[in-house]
Amino acid sequence: MTTLVRHRLILTGILLLTPAIAALHLFVGQIHLSIDDYWNGLFSFDKSSVNEIIARDFRTPRLLMALIAGACLSVVGLMMQTLFNNPLAGPYVLGINSGSSLFVALSIMTGVPFFASDFGLIINSLFGAFLFGLIILFFSRIVRTQISLLLIGLMLGSFISAFVAFLQSASDAQELKVFTLWALGSLQKVDFDQLAYIVPIALTGIASTFFIVKPLNALVLGEAEAKLLGINIKTTRLIIIILTAILTGLVTAFCGPIAFVGLAVPNLVRILFKTQQHLTLIIASVLIGSIFIVLCDILIQLLEPYFMLPINVLTSIIGAPMVILFILKRLK
Amino acid sequence: MIRTSELTIGYTHQLLTVDNVQLNTSELYFLIGKNGSGKSTFFKTITGSTPCLSGKVLLNKQNVSSIPLATLPTVVSFVGPHFPSVDFLTVEQYVGLARTPYTNQFGRLKDEDHKIIQDCLSIIDIVHLKERFVTELSDGEKQMVAIAKALAQQTDIIILDEPTAFLDYSNKTIVLNILQQISIEMNKCIIISTHDIDMSIELGCSYLVVNKNKKRIQLVNSPVKKEVLLALAF
Repeated sequence: MTTLVRHRLILTGILLLTPAIAALHLFVGQIHLSIDDYWNGLFSFDKSSVNEIIARDFRTPRLLMALIAGACLSVVGLMMQTLFNNPLAGPYVLGINSGSSLFVALSIMTGVPFFASDFGLIINSLFGAFLFGLIILFFSRIVRTQISLLLIGLMLGSFISAFVAFLQSASDAQELKVFTLWALGSLQKVDFDQLAYIVPIALTGIASTFFIVKPLNALVLGEAEAKLLGINIKTTRLIIIILTAILTGLVTAFCGPIAFVGLAVPNLVRILFKTQQHLTLIIASVLIGSIFIVLCDILIQLLEPYFMLPINVLTSIIGAPMVILFILKRLK
Repeated sequence: MIRTSELTIGYTHQLLTVDNVQLNTSELYFLIGKNGSGKSTFFKTITGSTPCLSGKVLLNKQNVSSIPLATLPTVVSFVGPHFPSVDFLTVEQYVGLARTPYTNQFGRLKDEDHKIIQDCLSIIDIVHLKERFVTELSDGEKQMVAIAKALAQQTDIIILDEPTAFLDYSNKTIVLNILQQISIEMNKCIIISTHDIDMSIELGCSYLVVNKNKKRIQLVNSPVKKEVLLALAF
């Protein structure tokens, strides 16, 4: 069996698995909904039906956010790992999420009404992600080893945490509550109408990554070699940082910082496909990333009768040990 | 063909001057000089990675500084001293990356590209390695694969920075013989930097020597004597 056939088989498999798991997600909640509830909720919405309200305003956005968050963060992780030539890179460990957090914290706690609006929140989150993307890019030009860059990313994260903690201590109870809930991460803060712009932004961002497949493939050999193959490194770097800011910023604005997905999923994908062909890697990261978060959220919903598990807590519980495994495997 | 004219090289201040030389296709040249004498800087300058301080380098009669970044890799290919260690990259994919300057926006390899890759693998006689991951290759195999990649780039000029550095005696011989054969049979202009002077001298090629006293790169045409080279360079 050739590599190409094997890749297509696995891709077809996860392509079929994604809608199946997504469908499962729609029917695991505590209140049982029927297919009709979803159909009517989406296409002939009746405000008096509780079931249709749940279907339209709670379950559908929650599922779509799970799919989007998984896809966006995984693609971002993949791009950063290739750009920095570092399989342990990701938006969370390199402080990109933290950048968003800082600006979201500022926007929630400064009390300026514009900043607290949806639009203000997204803009701040994007700006924070972009700014810290540039900072980490700057450091990547200076430090020579992979470990140094990761340590700098982690230190940026700690620095920002300290700063955010300071902001928290200076803010009132209401602001503190809003921020703390945001920071724990949740897929349930989006309503149906917000999807109208979240979905197009996410899809555009993900689709754009297909245009940098060629530079990404060459970047696997490192920036110097990619440049010798005629790749415009500066442009590629900028595109990657902008896409990172858009995709990470979007997800972080609405779901809070979700850890380790961007790091773990691309590594899983590479182990599964055993390739460095980024067309395959991007498609697989989108699908497996989506499946991963949806599965996490199914688990959260199943545990809801007993306790509330924030999404960020769950991805860390699963993701952190996985990362340790990857490290051990590489050092062997 | 490479021609240099009144060339000086270096980063911020002048490191070396280069004699006006002409390096022809179908010939193999060795570049020798002390560690840190500027061999790599010379290579970076003629591959267009580092700008000339003054003077110019002509690659196939075109000034290297005026060749667009995207077409430069169709003129000159460079094999660095360090082979990349990348997980899950097969030899075939690695050699295929040499086609990057020829492929479309999405980097998709056409049938023609696949044929070129196969041809280059068979010229170097490493077709059996094509499914292997580059991380699983021996040092000798890595060098062969790197040469196949340079060939797949289909350039008239190939530059190799110390390709024999980590090889055992037999692999050094194999690599040097293959490179000489390629230069003659495929009409390539090949420059190799090396510290294996004894072994290279048996091939009867011309030398570029970093003259230790004059801070200058000069061409010593074949036939050359080892004593002359040593006196000039070390």
